Amino acid sequence: MAPDAELLPGTLDLLILKAVSLGAHHGYGILLRIEQITGGALAIEQGALYPALYRLEHQGLLESEWGTSDNNRKAKFYSLTSAGRKRLKTETDRWQRNALAINTALRAQEV
Amino acid sequence: MTLLARLRSFWRHVINRSDMEREMSDELAFHIAARADDLTARRGLPRSEAVRLARLEFGSVEKYKEESRQSLGLRLIDEARGDVRYALRTFAKHKAFTAAAIATLALGIGATTAIFSVVDAVMLRVLPVERPEELMSLLVQRQGHPEGYGFTNPLWEAIRDQQDVFSAVFASSSRGPMPLMFGTGDDVSASIQALVASGDFFEALGARPALGRLFTADDDRRDRLPVAVLANGFWRSRFGGSPEALGQTIAMNGRSFVVIGVTRPGFFGVNVGSNFDVVIPLAQAWLFDRDNLESRGRWWLNVMGRRKPGVTLERIQARLDTLSAPVMAAALPAGSPASQREFLTRRLVVAPGSDGTSTMRNQFQTPLKVLMALVAVVLLVGSANIASLLLARGATRHKEMATRHALGGSRRRLMRQLMTESVLLAGAGSLLGLAIANRGAVALVRSLSTENNPIFLDLSLGGHVIVFTTTVAVVIVLLIGLLPALRVTRVTAGEAMKTRTVESERPHFRAGKLIVAGQVALSLVLLVSGGLLLRTFVTLVRLDLGFDRTNVVVVNGRPPRIGAEGTMPSPAQRSAAYDEIAERLRALPGIQSVARAFTTPIGDDNWVNTIRVDRPDAPSGEDASCYFNFVGPGYFATMRISLLAGRDFSTRDTRESPTVAIVNETMARRFFPGTGALGQHFSRRGFAGEVEIVGIVRDSKYETVRQATPATAFLPAAQVPRDTADQLVIRTAVTPEAIIPQMQRTARDVNQDLAVTVRTLAAQVDDNLAGERLVASLSGFFAALALLLSMIGLYGVLSYLVTRRQSEFGVRLALGAPTRSVVRTVLSEIAAVLSGGLAVGLLMTLAAVRLLKGLLFGLEPWDGATLAAAIVLLSAMALVAAYLPARRATRLDPSIAMRAE
Repeated sequence: MAPDAELLPGTLDLLILKAVSLGAHHGYGILLRIEQITGGALAIEQGALYPALYRLEHQGLLESEWGTSDNNRKAKFYSLTSAGRKRLKTETDRWQRNALAINTALRAQEV
Repeated sequence: MTLLARLRSFWRHVINRSDMEREMSDELAFHIAARADDLTARRGLPRSEAVRLARLEFGSVEKYKEESRQSLGLRLIDEARGDVRYALRTFAKHKAFTAAAIATLALGIGATTAIFSVVDAVMLRVLPVERPEELMSLLVQRQGHPEGYGFTNPLWEAIRDQQDVFSAVFASSSRGPMPLMFGTGDDVSASIQALVASGDFFEALGARPALGRLFTADDDRRDRLPVAVLANGFWRSRFGGSPEALGQTIAMNGRSFVVIGVTRPGFFGVNVGSNFDVVIPLAQAWLFDRDNLESRGRWWLNVMGRRKPGVTLERIQARLDTLSAPVMAAALPAGSPASQREFLTRRLVVAPGSDGTSTMRNQFQTPLKVLMALVAVVLLVGSANIASLLLARGATRHKEMATRHALGGSRRRLMRQLMTESVLLAGAGSLLGLAIANRGAVALVRSLSTENNPIFLDLSLGGHVIVFTTTVAVVIVLLIGLLPALRVTRVTAGEAMKTRTVESERPHFRAGKLIVAGQVALSLVLLVSGGLLLRTFVTLVRLDLGFDRTNVVVVNGRPPRIGAEGTMPSPAQRSAAYDEIAERLRALPGIQSVARAFTTPIGDDNWVNTIRVDRPDAPSGEDASCYFNFVGPGYFATMRISLLAGRDFSTRDTRESPTVAIVNETMARRFFPGTGALGQHFSRRGFAGEVEIVGIVRDSKYETVRQATPATAFLPAAQVPRDTADQLVIRTAVTPEAIIPQMQRTARDVNQDLAVTVRTLAAQVDDNLAGERLVASLSGFFAALALLLSMIGLYGVLSYLVTRRQSEFGVRLALGAPTRSVVRTVLSEIAAVLSGGLAVGLLMTLAAVRLLKGLLFGLEPWDGATLAAAIVLLSAMALVAAYLPARRATRLDPSIAMRAE
């Protein structure tokens, strides 16, 4: 888990929402899932995940519930609220528009 | 959307703080454990090594916990909690300061809130009735006169029958204290306030009964069974709140009324400042108010209407403009053609009536505003002291602040901590103040209330008062906290390292002097205002009223009580009864003289008429009006009004003898300039025949102490045109209080149905000055308080100066400087503060005293003597405040002073 790429501001929240949208999971599970869906390209210090999770829950985008993990440990599971699902969609759209615009810009050649 | 979620989450986490902390620890522990499991499983690391690595990968647990808390918005709370704890510790360390500060604020805020509650109740609140904004007041406008609120009953009936712009109109009038009897007994059980109101009164106001029913238009007819509605408070105190009250008979003035209902608590009608015990329908008041109902000349009713929805004031006025002429025509009083023509030009005018009507409001508006301003200034002076003290204390924390600043404490953070103290002080002061405010307001109203004009106000804690006190508290936080916080936190890291600076040049010291100068300025304003108002009161009390009020008792039978059917004493019977009472009183020991009178000075009754004299330069119009009184033989001797010329009345002046008059100097001067009035004649409007002037007496006051003595004519009591002279004045040789009970017994022995009140003339005059007395004593008290507070402030600043410069003074003294020079240094500091404060104060005073103009009597707002006295007093007090610090400065022991550094 060596840090390969700097995290763009705001992307962590988006990645968390995306990871959670694939199914409710505890903090560690969300971390692994982010690692998995980004192909390990993005890396963060593991603890940094939690302030972000608390912030998203505080904003009403996530909700949490205590449950039992695969290893039979007590763990806090996060899932998306409907507000969170809506936010994920708008943020995804915006990200793609921006990415497209920047890609186009970068591909431009001198005339 | 998310704001709500955030608030919910914030609230949940603040409330369940310990749960939240535990869960957070559990969650992070789970993460590390799960990671360690993985590391063991995947890489085959030993458990201890796996846990170590997992921890390393996680990063600082505490740091992320703190960031998570911040995510939940909990950091502010944590800091605030710390600040509060810190402030409370500081308070505990400085108990005397804290107690003094909270007491100052509590008293200041309490007094301010108390006066505001009265202002609110009298001037700001709308009536506690349904949709008060729709209520309109009706007035009658006369050419060249202010609009009047009074209506005659025939005029009211014409309006009621002809108007079509209001959804409802109603008339009402308070009928002063009158005797009330329960059941059929003859015993006068109470003196009550009655309200007569037209049938639509309750319905138009949207009032509902607490018990039974309220009367309606159907009850408001002379042929109906006389009914009465009880006020809730009266029902509770007199009937114990029992439903049995319904159907009972109460007798007012000998007339029986059946109780049909009780109003709800808080309902007082439309007259702010007055209350009632019983309401009866207007038409049924004819049972004892016959003259008032029939007269086209008695303007005693107050008329209001409820606007129809959507109809503007302008449209109502336009309609009233066309209605005025027919309404006036229907209620035209008898009189000369000229006066009738004038009557027909009178106009009905509409005005917003959501705050009801109030004679009290007109009377006390200005005094209340002045008191409000004065008490606010006192609060300001008191707050300045606290600001001074916080500032001085902040100075001792200068180094602490500099150090914390150097260590990275942001200025905002430091300020927040200092402001927390101010918030706590102001909060505690406000709560305590609010707790005492109501008592203050009640006491205030009680001191304005007199026997003949009882005042009732709803002083319960209302929205306005809460908003007001909260605003005051916020302003005080800024006043006492902001300046010290700004000053104390204005530090640079470098300063922390300095061991000493020239203390007197410290900015907070300069700020302290500025604050004291401001206090001196405000105190001057209060001293001058208080001085002017006190002198006004003293002038009024000492004023030569033209009669001697000591040891005079007034027996008052007005309004005359009307007995039960058949036993009602006629004016002749009453007159005979008063003569007999006078006769018996004269025989009592301790009584010097007794005389009959229609009214007594500074009383409630007046009799004004226009008179005509046969002279080319005779006054006309308003100038020709003259006040009348009807008095028996010995009246002038009893009142000690000197007879300047001619003769007093005697028993030979009877109803049958020629009409004669004794006039006062003003009357003689105005109507008979140059020639002398004795032996001259005048005639009265509405009365046949001439009146011959047989005597001239010294001027004496008629209705109020302030009023200039009007032209007055006294006629023999036996020649009073209607009713009778229902009052007796009695001069006693002993303290009047001692024989008042005996007088009451005598009156009852002669005729039980007279129902008289007996009180001293001095009390009657005092009641007239109730407002002035309150304003004078409060403003004097406020001025003294401000003086004391600002002198404490001055003392504080000087003590601080001496402490800070003790080494300098010590060295100067040790080197042989005369003590004079040290004293001079201290005194020059006072002189600077005092002269600056006085200069600003003088300008403020000159601007402020103009507001007092309407309240003053016998002196101008710019009164040199008062101003000079205030300045001398302030300066003298400043020297007293300076004495202790200056003495301390001269007694410094140089060796100790040096060591203290």
